[in-house]
Amino acid sequence: MKQRDEIVVLTDAVLITCIVQRGVADTVVDAATEAGAQGATIFYARGTGVRQKHLGVLGITVNAEKEVIYIVAPSDHADHIFERVYVAAKLDTPGMGMIYMAELEKMATYVPPEVAARFGKHD
Amino acid sequence: MTDKISQRRLRYGEFLSAVRVKQRRVSYKDVHADADAGRRPRRQRLRLVDLHRLLTPYVSIRFMEQLRAVVPLALFLALFQVAALRVDVYQSEQIAFGMLAVMLGLMLFMDGVKYGLMPFSENIGFNLPSRTTPAVVLGFAFLLGSIATLAEPAIGALRAAGGAVDPVRAPWLHLLLTRYPDRLVMAVGIGVGLAVLTGMLRFFFRWRMKTLVVATLLPCLALTAYAGFDPRLAPIIGLAWDCGAITTGPVTVPLVLALGIGVAAAAGQEDNPLAGFGIVTLASLFPAMAVILVAIGLVGEVPDPTALPAIVGAGDTAAWWDMTPAAELIAALRAIGPLIVLLWLVQRLFLGEAIKQRNLVIYGVVVAVLGMAVFNLGLSVGLIPLGNQAGATVPAAFSSGNGTAALYPYPVGIGLTLVFAATLGYGATIAEPALNAMGTTVENLTDGAFPRRLLIQTVAVGVALGIALGVSKIVFQWSILPLLLGVYTIALSCTLFSSEEYVSLAWDSAGVTTGPVTVPLVLALGLGLGQAVGAPDGFGILAMASVGPIISVLLVGFWIRRSTAIAAQQER
Repeated sequence: MKQRDEIVVLTDAVLITCIVQRGVADTVVDAATEAGAQGATIFYARGTGVRQKHLGVLGITVNAEKEVIYIVAPSDHADHIFERVYVAAKLDTPGMGMIYMAELEKMATYVPPEVAARFGKHD
Repeated sequence: MTDKISQRRLRYGEFLSAVRVKQRRVSYKDVHADADAGRRPRRQRLRLVDLHRLLTPYVSIRFMEQLRAVVPLALFLALFQVAALRVDVYQSEQIAFGMLAVMLGLMLFMDGVKYGLMPFSENIGFNLPSRTTPAVVLGFAFLLGSIATLAEPAIGALRAAGGAVDPVRAPWLHLLLTRYPDRLVMAVGIGVGLAVLTGMLRFFFRWRMKTLVVATLLPCLALTAYAGFDPRLAPIIGLAWDCGAITTGPVTVPLVLALGIGVAAAAGQEDNPLAGFGIVTLASLFPAMAVILVAIGLVGEVPDPTALPAIVGAGDTAAWWDMTPAAELIAALRAIGPLIVLLWLVQRLFLGEAIKQRNLVIYGVVVAVLGMAVFNLGLSVGLIPLGNQAGATVPAAFSSGNGTAALYPYPVGIGLTLVFAATLGYGATIAEPALNAMGTTVENLTDGAFPRRLLIQTVAVGVALGIALGVSKIVFQWSILPLLLGVYTIALSCTLFSSEEYVSLAWDSAGVTTGPVTVPLVLALGLGLGQAVGAPDGFGILAMASVGPIISVLLVGFWIRRSTAIAAQQER
């Protein structure tokens, strides 16, 4: 039986961070959700990139205002989501943004008790 | 569970990456070292799809902005013509092309101003007041006001308006517009310059807006009255007051506001919430005075305009600089060039700073010039003919001319015309993006007492009534003098009894409403209408359209004050 002072910690989680121009986040989140992500966190930022230098006058079309999307995904799905987001956000075009992912040591959030009961045991 | 069938474990991620796109791993260390070694990578060759991805969203957002402002107005005009007047739009392809050019030109121009001019003016506005003497700041304010006016897109409409004036009944007006348009534009520029100067002085000496309005309006009305009693000058009054409305457009206002904020900060003024407002107001009164003064000078200089030889015909020997693309480009350069030079000189001489991001600024300037040229082209083939046509065909609704009977009985026709004019003004005002921005500011500043939508509605109704009044002035051929004196007396008395914030707000809303699309359209409409009904000149609609919102906003201000006072009493 699960106790009050217990935290269910999830492992094998991966953080995918995608930085795109302001207004593109919805596309990214949609693609990620479709690829199996359960949620996403978006925040606003400003920044310029290496690629913009090579664009010349076209650099004007790249908005310095960005949206940063955090997606935490199970490591099994991460590659799939990574790829789908890369394609959906058109990151193969200069100036569109970047994506990276890093393994997380652990994460915790609300895990339904009946789900928690089926998996894992105390250390 | 695993005892029956032998299982091979395969990570889902590995499976997916094997099945889908191949990932090639490259070390970022290597890539970075490569770039560090001074081997500048060649300019990347962009695929077509990259160009599309970069340009399409960028362009479409900006184009849609203009589309929303232009298309409803143009459609309304065309539909009214077809549905109510049963006349086809003449040369509709050419007009459609012109409207496209207007939208494209405005889009480019606004973007150019954003990258080419705004960085300068913001920098100068914030730094100049603290680094130099007030005299320099005032001199710069005057020059900025005068020169920015020349760059205003709508000023081109004024140059184009000359042909539609009756040379017999309004000889000096015709003379001013056809032979001395430069003098007219100069007068307007100097008027705006003086207005900006006065606005800056207001910051230094903390004059009250109310005092300033009264001090400017009284001599202005006196001058108008003087001109009104001189039959030679009387026809010019309409034009003079219209000039005020033309000047306050998308170039002057942000430039002047940036300077105003800088000066207010340097003058050590506490954050008066409405400090930014006020300058725009004066910019519509001073040019009126300047134009009347120029007209007085002209009447003294040329006693008999009909005796002057006709202008030697350009036309047969059109040089390349008079041809379509070159002429527009030169006009655009002449409009924007001086402004750029002024800003650049001040930046170098007084601030001693090099330009940041020079490429971007050059791009902005080039695009602004290009946009202005395209806009002017669109103005002359699209907006002005459309407005002119609408004006010329509208009288068919109530008067029988050219052998055709009136379409409707006289009262219905007149009513229809006025409703048409009011709707045009209302729609154009609602679509004005500057007003929307102002509404949000005002809502915040008044703690919600003056909601944004109420302000927009109030101003729009004011403009609508103003335009209707202006149109009836032309249709019934009223003299403009009593009309102007009447409405401005009302505005003045409302101003005297109103509180300071509402005075600034009301007088500024007049300047905000007249954008680069509305002005040429309404101007052309008035001229076409004036010609069709045989009025001596078709000016005066814009003047009425700018006084309308002043009165309506002041009245609503009274009402808000009263209702909040009553609410406060009931609470007690």
